Amino acid sequence: MTRSPFLRNGLVQVAPLLLCLVAWEVLARIFGSTHAVMPPVSTILLGIFADGNTLLRSFGRTLAETVLGFVPAAAFGFIAGALFARVRIAERMFFPLFLISQTVPVVAFGALVIIWFGNGIMSKVAIAFYLTFFPVTVNTLRGLRAVDQDKINLLKSFGASAWMLFWRLEVPHALPGIMAALLLGVSLSLVGAIVGEWFGATVGLGIVLVQAMYAEDMVRLWGAILLCGILGSTLYGLVAFAARRWVWWGGEI
Amino acid sequence: MTGRCPLASNVPTGVQPEVVAGGSHAAACGASVEPAAGNPPIIVLESVSKTFDAHGHRVVAIDGVDLRVDEGEFVALIGPSGCGKSTLFNIVAGLQDADSGGTIRFGGERRKSTELLGKVSFMPQRDLLFPWRRVIDNVILALEVEGMSRSDARARALPMFAGFGLSGFERHYPNQLSGGMRQRVALMRTFLFERPLMLLDEPFGALDSLTRAMMQRWLLDVWQLHRRTVLFITHDIDEAIFLGDRVVVMTARPGRMKLSVEVGIERPRHADIRTSAAFLEIRKTLLAAIEEESMKSFLSESV
Repeated sequence: MTRSPFLRNGLVQVAPLLLCLVAWEVLARIFGSTHAVMPPVSTILLGIFADGNTLLRSFGRTLAETVLGFVPAAAFGFIAGALFARVRIAERMFFPLFLISQTVPVVAFGALVIIWFGNGIMSKVAIAFYLTFFPVTVNTLRGLRAVDQDKINLLKSFGASAWMLFWRLEVPHALPGIMAALLLGVSLSLVGAIVGEWFGATVGLGIVLVQAMYAEDMVRLWGAILLCGILGSTLYGLVAFAARRWVWWGGEI
Repeated sequence: MTGRCPLASNVPTGVQPEVVAGGSHAAACGASVEPAAGNPPIIVLESVSKTFDAHGHRVVAIDGVDLRVDEGEFVALIGPSGCGKSTLFNIVAGLQDADSGGTIRFGGERRKSTELLGKVSFMPQRDLLFPWRRVIDNVILALEVEGMSRSDARARALPMFAGFGLSGFERHYPNQLSGGMRQRVALMRTFLFERPLMLLDEPFGALDSLTRAMMQRWLLDVWQLHRRTVLFITHDIDEAIFLGDRVVVMTARPGRMKLSVEVGIERPRHADIRTSAAFLEIRKTLLAAIEEESMKSFLSESV
């Protein structure tokens, strides 16, 4: 039936998911007469389409918050990690601060961030940023430090400057670790954006979740959950794709 | 062609072991002897020592090493394990400073060891290829660092691929190559970093014996073609004789020079010279010297 291995692989992975959805649909229809706990999948999907405009705007908003938090956090995390790797005194002075900042659960800061940045997009971006930069810093620092001394010596014998050593050897060496941190970071950014919306916002998937909760609107709640899942897995998939396509040498270092 | 150490002219025929008197630095093919004609030796070490401080007690890795390599010469250096070969490698490569007291001359000029960094193209035991670079971009690494554009560097490297047995693998990544091929890529990278002295540290140490024998013959061909000055560190006596114009033996730790033997075997050398009388004669001399030193280091370790 299926000729190409690509198709067969796809089917192997998709079939269980489809099976679960069918089971969900059937069980919800048998047991959930009132839709109070577990609405059937079809109802949820219809609900999403019925509410298309609002949900699409919310989806776009949360996506924007996530990306706007994630990208600067990745850049900042990399720069901080690179600085710590180069300048030992900077690491000794500031790394403990980084560490302490991460021991405070982000929700404890939520109210503060809303007061500082308002209930617009910036407060969510800030929380996403806060959750994301630290793993990137740690993995950058660790990767840059772990470079084989023999390779450094070899490049130095060719006359390489510190700048060349950094870009031609240390960064490529650290990249697989950095990509792993980015995979973690993109999920954390989404969490940051959603949690940020709970503290105060007018639009976004987090807001849809909270509103649906107060209204006990199960169909809308499940719709928002589904969209959060789609958003999360799409972003994760993009980063994973980039990692596999351009940074594939992790196993060899 | 016979060995081209200047002293070779004083040596009537092939095998002529010259024993270095212990402690005397008037070494065989001696550091103090000026070459007969023309250019100064590429490198001369005179009583070079290196002492490490290991947890409070002094470890003398090498103690008054004399060594000289002339232009175009292929010198093979052997010694029992733990004789300070790697220390010597690091000093000649410019990666480590020697103790004060000794002298290093490079191209006739007196240098500190660390000043040799960048003047010697060296190849450590491991191939140290960058997994994220294609083979072609691995071999041009030195050219690129020196400021040549990538396309110029590639154009310069491409004609060499056939000679290194790597035709068709230019665009492969290192993880797609066998151990022997990776080693050839590393050697090609070393050849493309053109410096007066090439320093090779057991480049074939990790290969199986058949591949190794092939690589040795191949290295001679390439060397014949490119005519570089080579200091080749190994622990394999046959390899040293087969490749070298001259074989130098180090003592057990603390390492110094024990013996220097001219290998007067004609080039080009074929695989069958390994069983020739001249080869076996040299082998016997070297084996005796190395055996003695290995025993010493074995005994000192077991005490």
